[in-house]
Amino acid sequence: MIGREGGIYNPHAGPVAQGQSVRLITGWFQVRILAGPPFLRGLIMLQERIEEYLSAKIGADSVAVSHLQRIPGGASRETWSFDATWRENGNEVERGFVLRRDPDASLLETERDLEFRVMDALAGHGVPVPKMYWLESEGAFLDRPFFVMERIDGCETSPTKVLMDPRFFVVRALLAERFVAILACIHSLDWRASGLDFLGAPADEAGCGLMEIEKWEGVVDRDALEPQPVLRAAFRWMRRHPPPPAQRIVLVHADYRTGNFLCDSEGAIRGILDWEMVHLGDPMEDVAWACIRPWRWLGDESIGGLIEREQFYKRYEKASGFTVVPEAIRFWELLGNAKLAAIFLTGARSFCEGRTRSPMMAFLGRNIARLELEIMDLMGV
Amino acid sequence: MRPTAIESLRAAQAALAELIAPELASAFALDAAQTVQMLLESLASEWDTAAETLSRDNETLSSLLSASGEALTGAPSRNESVAPIVSQIERLRDDRASSLVLSDLASRNGSLRAALESVLVAFEELTGRPGSEMIDEVRNRIYNHLREEAAGGWSFWDVSSFRGRMAALQPPPS
Repeated sequence: MIGREGGIYNPHAGPVAQGQSVRLITGWFQVRILAGPPFLRGLIMLQERIEEYLSAKIGADSVAVSHLQRIPGGASRETWSFDATWRENGNEVERGFVLRRDPDASLLETERDLEFRVMDALAGHGVPVPKMYWLESEGAFLDRPFFVMERIDGCETSPTKVLMDPRFFVVRALLAERFVAILACIHSLDWRASGLDFLGAPADEAGCGLMEIEKWEGVVDRDALEPQPVLRAAFRWMRRHPPPPAQRIVLVHADYRTGNFLCDSEGAIRGILDWEMVHLGDPMEDVAWACIRPWRWLGDESIGGLIEREQFYKRYEKASGFTVVPEAIRFWELLGNAKLAAIFLTGARSFCEGRTRSPMMAFLGRNIARLELEIMDLMGV
Repeated sequence: MRPTAIESLRAAQAALAELIAPELASAFALDAAQTVQMLLESLASEWDTAAETLSRDNETLSSLLSASGEALTGAPSRNESVAPIVSQIERLRDDRASSLVLSDLASRNGSLRAALESVLVAFEELTGRPGSEMIDEVRNRIYNHLREEAAGGWSFWDVSSFRGRMAALQPPPS
């Protein structure tokens, strides 16, 4: 039921005059319905505004944007893919881009500037990341802040594809090897020399655990809509059982897992994605995060669906020079599950307060029970 | 006879899977449809027993809180934070409701869980100390109950990451 061009969609009253609007009350949400098919109109407007933006950035008279489409996943920001063509020195240039725009509401309240700067700084250091092009911290161009980066074609990120598509079966061992090697590479990066001091290091190696406890307990304080006995008890447990001091303070990706890398069917990992939680801290945090049950997609004990835990540890130790300490891993796995639950609580609050209509936010907010089960397993209670 | 709430939810799921999803062209829309499908599944799975589940949880929580109040009162190493928790538990004891309206049950559940939250945080401080046997015993009972609750219902994790973990919780076939 979409009104004819120039009319207004109103399921109850039929078309009304252009320029007017009606309000459709849907549950908690009041949705303003404007003239024309809303999604298509919005898409065309966005495409035109991206063309204007790129024209200004590239310095070309006419940039044409095509195949603009929203990509699923990456719930903390809107992710859009598009092709752009323009003329440069008499030649036609065509390039694929990805645009990451701040949403109205998100699973995570993070700084896109930070993500952009870290990914930009990593270029040329052995960590595969898309090339970063432009960052806009204001909403002048596309209503909300965003950044634009290179699109890496011919790859998959979805765990379902990477772990269950037969094309990837034969390269799983290779993917596991690269997965470990790149993590070690991230942790070996000289973050001071790379200009990443702005991330703010913990006071000392012993302070890494407490810094993350306070960060995520703060999110629960801010966003929980209901009492959270298991999470509260877990944070108290973690305060009483802090991890051993970090062996060294390193760059921590903080969301390193199957599902956050781009890989091809040759077994190459061509891009590490989703750096919005990046910080300086304990390398064991990343090792443990990769291990937590929610990312063991195949439902067995293999880490990330890729590799047995013992092998993962051995290869990581060999590649990084760090020792994997079981006591530290237990703490960081517990923290990881609590952190994931906290992220879901943020999404649930956004939904319940009407800042988003995303079914994902509603859905995830109803799914922390299994994380609680895992938390209690790790606490040993 | 009119369709029940669950039958209606199943009809919505079927329409989404069989009529709507095949018409969707974009990956983003398909992803959203899949999420809605799972959201409906979680609603359908708990609809019929929601009131009973909440009511039973409330009864168990009340009982655990009573035991917690006694354990806290008798704890040798209790501190000044314990008295307000005991008062909170006593207030809840006088506030029993008989309504089976879901929002009433959920509201009562929220109050009980808020008290349990304070109790568990206090227990995590007191457990394992000399003379804390009563605390430890009630703490174990609380976690056993919370584990049962956390393992109940339907979760999308159960079809992927938690498949093995949840299978391990199933009783062996007789």
